[in-house]
Amino acid sequence: MWRKWRWLLPVVAFLAFFGGARLDARLYRQPIAQVTAVTATKPKAQTDNLGNRDHLTTQRVAARLLNTAHRGRRLTFTNVYSYSGAMDSRLVVGSQCFVSTTAGGGYQLQNRKRDGIVLALLGFALTLLVLVMRRRFVMSALSILANIALLALALHVELSSRDVSAWWLFAGLAVLFTAVTTVFVVGFNRQAAVAGVTTIGATAAGVGLGYLIFTLTGYRNLHLESVKYVTQAPQLLFYVQIIIGSLGAVFDECTDITAAVSELEAGGAARFRAGMAIGRNIMGPLIAVLFMIFIADTFTESVLWLRNGNAISQTVIWVMGLGFAQALVSAFGIVLAVPLTSGLAAWAAPKEVGA
Amino acid sequence: MSTIPALMLALLVLLTLVGGRAGLSNFLALLINMLVMIAAAVLMAGGFNPIGVAVVAGLAVLSAVIFLSTRDAAVAGTAFVSSLLVMALVLGVVVVSVTLSHTAGFGPEDAEELEGFSLYVGVSFQNILIATGLLSTLGAIAEAAVAVAAGMQELGPKVTRQARTRMAGAIIGTGLNTLFFGFFGGFAGLFVWFAQLKYPLWQVLNNQIFAGELIQVLFAVIAVTLTVPITMWVTLTRAKGGHN
Repeated sequence: MWRKWRWLLPVVAFLAFFGGARLDARLYRQPIAQVTAVTATKPKAQTDNLGNRDHLTTQRVAARLLNTAHRGRRLTFTNVYSYSGAMDSRLVVGSQCFVSTTAGGGYQLQNRKRDGIVLALLGFALTLLVLVMRRRFVMSALSILANIALLALALHVELSSRDVSAWWLFAGLAVLFTAVTTVFVVGFNRQAAVAGVTTIGATAAGVGLGYLIFTLTGYRNLHLESVKYVTQAPQLLFYVQIIIGSLGAVFDECTDITAAVSELEAGGAARFRAGMAIGRNIMGPLIAVLFMIFIADTFTESVLWLRNGNAISQTVIWVMGLGFAQALVSAFGIVLAVPLTSGLAAWAAPKEVGA
Repeated sequence: MSTIPALMLALLVLLTLVGGRAGLSNFLALLINMLVMIAAAVLMAGGFNPIGVAVVAGLAVLSAVIFLSTRDAAVAGTAFVSSLLVMALVLGVVVVSVTLSHTAGFGPEDAEELEGFSLYVGVSFQNILIATGLLSTLGAIAEAAVAVAAGMQELGPKVTRQARTRMAGAIIGTGLNTLFFGFFGGFAGLFVWFAQLKYPLWQVLNNQIFAGELIQVLFAVIAVTLTVPITMWVTLTRAKGGHN
């Protein structure tokens, strides 16, 4: 009975968190309203100067305040949404949103409330992880929490002191990330040392090779100024993104190779060959993991560019280009990790087993 | 020479040196994925339903990654069937979550970048976000499916439950690291930005861009976690049916 029904637990967690977050308005200081009734005008056709056809709908929204001193007060405001929904969204009865007061004493929509879906999906994912991983989950969770704490600390240092160079801060952060993850996932032994050292070595070698090629080609057709959400030093942040982004995949590969090689009884050369064989099998899919993450994220912007009359080549270069570059440089690290880890693991292991 | 072709050339040389013929087919898979993703963006902008485009592009990506990086036909077959099952389940999760999250399109922080763009372009950004959510998980699904299928074959048909749970833990554990760093590498800029603006936690949690990115990570985590038991189930079912 339990064996089958336990797979419904993630769904139960999802519903519980989603429902719970609908009742949490009183934890917020900013006014939150729940929509009680909506009347909409007929969709109005709209054509821009590029010939894109869209529809705009104006909603008259009646809502009830869920928090603040005026809890329970009824209010009305208007909301305009489009079919494409680039910067707007449709409200329905039951929607919750943040509102702000206008100069005239009325209210206006400010932002949608999203904590429910975020927490619900987090609950779903965590329940599923516990079901599948059992006790192993504790270590993985601790490792990720420790890394988040490190990241928060680094951001704090970066913002509070102007003396620390951001480059060395993030390079140090990458080394710390690797050390912490290795200790949590592999343990504190020779195998962990090999995995940790090769992860750092391969990532550094990959980014170094990337830097060399960027410099030799003079960043031609690569637009670092389009790195998102950066006010200063886009080049620095671009490298930081590549380093942190590829760290996990390289680490994944290095631990797989060292674990397999350390179980072999054979001599150094055979160990090296075994490591290379394992590495060859996993490097392709790992490159694909990062590639899909980096590229899929550019779709929204790519479609906007294309619909705004930009050529395909221009969109690929300006919007997808940085993702491609990031994926390719990460791939350098993933490929270089194979011989590096196999070599170091073959060289380091005999002393342990041969004793 | 432009930077991207130079990077690709260097990768081709590296892959061939390290992997020989296997390296070449890995490069081919990456090339196919690049072309498929560009074509997918163009088709979505051209008015095709983004979710339909994502499913078709997803099939192409999965088969390229799985069949071009696995020599063993039984492993590749099992991994592919499992990936398709997971893709269908993940699509369900993505559709529900994106519809409820209202994170499609652009946030107020993007406003400066969007100056001069027409935003009423007649393509549903919600559907594009669903396509993004599905496609970004596919690499991770393929990787986990291949790892589990290969591991199950190594362990043999009489594998105990404990051995399977141990393998599940190991594969998901390293997979989580790959995803954690993979995504957080992409958000480094966003984190610095939020920290500079000193947004309080509750505001970050409800922020359109942050909520959207966090949901994206969770899709990938859910996808990898689902892939492991489903691939094991497919392997055992196929073994019973005598396909292995």
